[in-house]
Amino acid sequence: MRILLITFAAAILTACGSGKKPDEKAFLQSLDSASASGSTIDQEVINSVLQLIPSPLEISVLLKESGSKYDHSLLNSPDNLPTYNSNYKMALNLGIYGTDLGYTNIYEQNQDGIKFLTAIKSLAEGLNIGQFFDIETIGRLASNSKNLDSLLLITTQNFNSINGYLQNQGRSNLSILLLSGGWVEALHLTCDVASKNAKNKELHENIGEQKIILEQIVLLLSFYKDSDENMASLLKDMEELKGAFDKISITYIYKESSMEVVNGVAVIKDNSTTEIQVTDQDIANVKKIINSIRNKIVG
Amino acid sequence: MSEEILKALTQLFAIITKQDGGVTENERQFVINFFQSELDRDSIKEYLELYDNYSGYSKQGTAEEEDKNKVTSVKDSIKTLGICKKINKTLTQKQKVIVLIKILELVNSDKNFTPQRLEIINTVSTVFNIIKDTFKFIETFVISERIEELNYPDILIADTATVKSADLQKHAHAHIEGSLVFMRVRSVDMYFTKYLGDQSNSLNGFTMQPNRVYLFSHGGTIKTQEGDALYYSDLVRDFNEEIQTTKLSFNANIEEFIFPNGTIGLRDVIVSEGPGKLIGIMGASGAGKTTLLLTLAGLEKPSRGTILINGFNIHTEKSKIRGVIGFVSQDDLLIEELTVYQNLYYNAKLCFANFTEEQLHQRVMNVLENLGLEQRKDLRVGNVLDKKISGGQRKRLNIALELIREPAILFLDEPTSGLSSRDSENVIDLLKELSLKGKLIFVVIHQPSSDIYKMFDKMIIMDTGGFPSYYGNPSRAVTYFKKATHHVDSNRGQCETCGNVNPEQIFNIIEAKVVDEYGQQTNKRKITPSQWHEMYSKQFKVNRVEDVKELPAVALFIPTKLKQIAIFTQRDFLAKFSDKQYMFINLLEAPLLALILAFITKYKSAPGGKEYIFRFNENIPAFMLMSIIVALFMGLTVSAEEIIRDRKILKRESFLNLSWNSYLLSKLNILFLLSAIQTLMFVIVGNLILEIHGMTFPFWLVLFTTSCFANVLGLNISSAFNSAVTVYVLIPLLLIPQMILSGLLFSFEKLNNLISTKGKVPIVADMMASRWAYEAMATYQFKNNEYESSYFEYEKGESQADFNAAYMADELQKRNRFVLENYETKNDSIQKLVSRNLNILYGVLIEEPFKSGLEKINLKEALTLEKYSKETGLLLAAYVEQYRDHYQKIYNHNVSLTEKRMAFDEKHGFKVNVEKNRYHNESLSDLVKNVNTKGRLIEYDGELIQQVNPIFQEPNPDGLMDYRTAFFLPEKNLVGLRISTFIFNILVIWIMSLTFYIALYFEWLRKMVNSFGKVNIPKGN
Repeated sequence: MRILLITFAAAILTACGSGKKPDEKAFLQSLDSASASGSTIDQEVINSVLQLIPSPLEISVLLKESGSKYDHSLLNSPDNLPTYNSNYKMALNLGIYGTDLGYTNIYEQNQDGIKFLTAIKSLAEGLNIGQFFDIETIGRLASNSKNLDSLLLITTQNFNSINGYLQNQGRSNLSILLLSGGWVEALHLTCDVASKNAKNKELHENIGEQKIILEQIVLLLSFYKDSDENMASLLKDMEELKGAFDKISITYIYKESSMEVVNGVAVIKDNSTTEIQVTDQDIANVKKIINSIRNKIVG
Repeated sequence: MSEEILKALTQLFAIITKQDGGVTENERQFVINFFQSELDRDSIKEYLELYDNYSGYSKQGTAEEEDKNKVTSVKDSIKTLGICKKINKTLTQKQKVIVLIKILELVNSDKNFTPQRLEIINTVSTVFNIIKDTFKFIETFVISERIEELNYPDILIADTATVKSADLQKHAHAHIEGSLVFMRVRSVDMYFTKYLGDQSNSLNGFTMQPNRVYLFSHGGTIKTQEGDALYYSDLVRDFNEEIQTTKLSFNANIEEFIFPNGTIGLRDVIVSEGPGKLIGIMGASGAGKTTLLLTLAGLEKPSRGTILINGFNIHTEKSKIRGVIGFVSQDDLLIEELTVYQNLYYNAKLCFANFTEEQLHQRVMNVLENLGLEQRKDLRVGNVLDKKISGGQRKRLNIALELIREPAILFLDEPTSGLSSRDSENVIDLLKELSLKGKLIFVVIHQPSSDIYKMFDKMIIMDTGGFPSYYGNPSRAVTYFKKATHHVDSNRGQCETCGNVNPEQIFNIIEAKVVDEYGQQTNKRKITPSQWHEMYSKQFKVNRVEDVKELPAVALFIPTKLKQIAIFTQRDFLAKFSDKQYMFINLLEAPLLALILAFITKYKSAPGGKEYIFRFNENIPAFMLMSIIVALFMGLTVSAEEIIRDRKILKRESFLNLSWNSYLLSKLNILFLLSAIQTLMFVIVGNLILEIHGMTFPFWLVLFTTSCFANVLGLNISSAFNSAVTVYVLIPLLLIPQMILSGLLFSFEKLNNLISTKGKVPIVADMMASRWAYEAMATYQFKNNEYESSYFEYEKGESQADFNAAYMADELQKRNRFVLENYETKNDSIQKLVSRNLNILYGVLIEEPFKSGLEKINLKEALTLEKYSKETGLLLAAYVEQYRDHYQKIYNHNVSLTEKRMAFDEKHGFKVNVEKNRYHNESLSDLVKNVNTKGRLIEYDGELIQQVNPIFQEPNPDGLMDYRTAFFLPEKNLVGLRISTFIFNILVIWIMSLTFYIALYFEWLRKMVNSFGKVNIPKGN
């Protein structure tokens, strides 16, 4: 009996032992000292820049057409979901999972797709934008591979409307993070595939084209570099990436436009082309940096 | 008698008889007779030789020897001393008195009282510590052959004479030649008898020799040659003065007793008695014996009639006659788990608060000795299946429980049923003795033996249908019935040769059946009960005993209520603790259930399924519900039988007027203690296995509260129903609604429309302890865990601001737009819609703290169909945009605070993710945030109701007393105060428990159940 009692007493003690936790006061003091006087950012400007960034989902199509096989290991495992607790991480990874979802959809990997959907839904809830994901509808669509098109459509639409909504709500920072996350993941996938398919010019050029988008992202992030530590550090990484992209040159070759008659209708044809010069070394550099950025986001 | 003592006695005998002239033939013969009564044939010879040796019987006669004897007499005196001292060490005072009497008789056998002999006898009595006066008295009794010489108050003469032969003597009348002399030795409370006469009477079946002294012990009977029986108890009564001093009157006049089903149980029964009577109640089965007994004892109320004790009405003046009545029912009213001693001890403790422990012990031991139970005092009583003491002992213990407090009137229902004839006789003899001490005793008796039958002072014979058919002297009953039916030998009541009465005869006569022409008995009785009753009414006139207008003397001293609680608790605790199985199961049940439950619900929950992480265990919400159900179940089962089991004991103790409240509180003491231990073990085991950290105390508090509630509920049903089976059948009926309406299994939003209210927990569910307990546990775990407690306030701000900015703003805008478009319509149904929307708008805005831009208009007026204008509409539209902006800012502020807090925590070594894994549970979080709801904002009953994130909402009471909210709100309104749901809900459950306790105290449920029971189902006739 006595032994039993002692065991219980011990159990109570251990059960009650709690972790060390910084106290509320200390936190509030820290807030006072670092009274953030972040410069007011013009939402209009941000929104107009955001419009320029294409949906990263489109990249997946390119990947499939390149003939590369579905590689599950390239994606961010939905198991990592629980480690995303801050809005910053949640928004970035929501973007990443969005791209991954698109990737699985293109390859018709429904099983994995559902996992990403769940993760996306969960992150969206965490960011208070859960209303854009009717998990029931999505789940129903996902159960039938024939519905893939509509599923993709819905998801893409959702991302678009989320962006719109966030910008509307004065939470463009999240929107930027969301898009950046998606973009990083897309680039990461492309680089990986491209490095395996050295001959696929289209892929290489696609990577090169990202230079323009990266510039936009850097611009957007720079708006927040004073008010948000996290975004500032991301900006730093992106600037490093920009350094790698700087070696890639995009030249715009202007040619006179010509007019043709197609089916009895006069059409003006743009004959200008852009020439993108990307070396394998450039790809490798970009890949290295993008992987390190992604690892920071994902891990 | 041991060999040693016998040898000592033999020596003593020898020494005395050899003095002054040596042993005579008579004396030797006496010794032989004595040996014969003590020894078998072979040993007699041996001891006789020893005796002869010491007394020098064979060498008797020579002068030489005589001289020598004179010399040795001094030596003998010393020897005597030695022997007496030896005897002193082994014999009790009672036995020593017997030895002394034997010696006196021995000497008396030849009347050879020489000085030397007397001197030795004197020495013996001194060494035996017998007081001189007593010795003289005994000596006179033994020697004297003339009754006139025996002028002592402790002498009783039974003979045919009508007057006393000496002043101080007592006298009894008996049909006997010569006289029987009885002596009472007060110091040892023993009775001796001797017969002076020539008849051959028998004592306990043995012939009494004239002038021989016999011990007249308990249950002894002397039958005279003429057929008279003198009972030990009769004798004791004659010696006793107590009866004369006891003031007691018992007058019952039961005109009618009607059973709840309408049949008549008793009619016209008049009983009138004084103190010191043993009254038997006999009758065929179903004649109403027990009903009569219960009615007389005041346990049943006669439909018409009164029962007065010393002039006090037994029903209306209960407090006056408290403790006067004792009732021994046919059932065992013992606490099976306690020992014989403990049963009596606690009973005594409840009766005599004024006694010290020592006195209590003495009292208990006295009663045990009186009833011959002292050897069994440390045995557990046990039950019928697990027998520890015999049936007779149980019966005696039952009687002892009543006797210990010495009630003036004692009622016993068939105290001899199931007992051997020996035990039966002992029991009745005991009762007889009590009656002789002045008690009035009523006994229902079935098929008594002749001896027992004759021991009663009076006999009440009941006939079928509750008719009394005889009330009077038992022996005369036979003659009465014989006479009534014109039997030939109607004058002879008892057997001529043996003096036995056959009580069976009475019933043979009463129930004699008519014989038909074939000689077969028919079912028809020769004389019906009512005819007997008619005869009875003519023959018997009950003389009413004068009411003693005096409070009956009662030794009762009931402890204070607080003390009663302590005694009850101690007794109950001891009973429970000694029941090893009960303790074992009850203490093991909780940890075992926790083990099973936690073990089964623990799985590799981490994403990827590699390990167990509390955060991802989806079973936690279900586990919490189950632990509440377990607490309820344990609480119910442990208490459900409590009162039923005690009911018999309560019935017995009802005569003591003990505090019902004290009894109940003592029950709660023990049950709450048990609940506390059980729930603590449950929580510890469960939380340890499932790695629920930091919740031991809060979970325990909730479960303990719930279990206590179940305890009180269980006691209620236990008090209301009569059988344990009914109660256990009821348990699911009580538990399943608790499960259904706990809030987890079925969402409160999706219940039958009759009971559900959107946005508030249904009232039916509010009556369930489980729902309060669950809410308390869930909100506390979510809100107060180590992890969430840092962020809760920010998340709350975030959630509410987001809701307003994202949903409420849209909703307001939408409704305003609708109104703006349609306020001028003439269409009735649209008008209705417009005013409904206006109402909703008004309802929201009036509560809204943010009013920038609205200050200038009177909302109440502006938002009506009549006053609404385009300007108002536009103003509102602009306002809503501001409103949205305002909340967006608040939202963003809170978000950034959360972010900063997390960054800050991380910086200070608080690993957010690790802590979250440890303390936060995703499933529970989803549950309290109600994430799966479809409509985040719905319109219900003219109000906009937020469906999502109840855990971050605040109560919005309509009044001081409005406690109702949606499920999982973190705070509640308590008369204007805002307190945490955890505390509020625990309070609610305690209030529920208190209510049930009040119900229990007043036995509302029992009364309700009884009133259902009284509904008569009409019988088709």
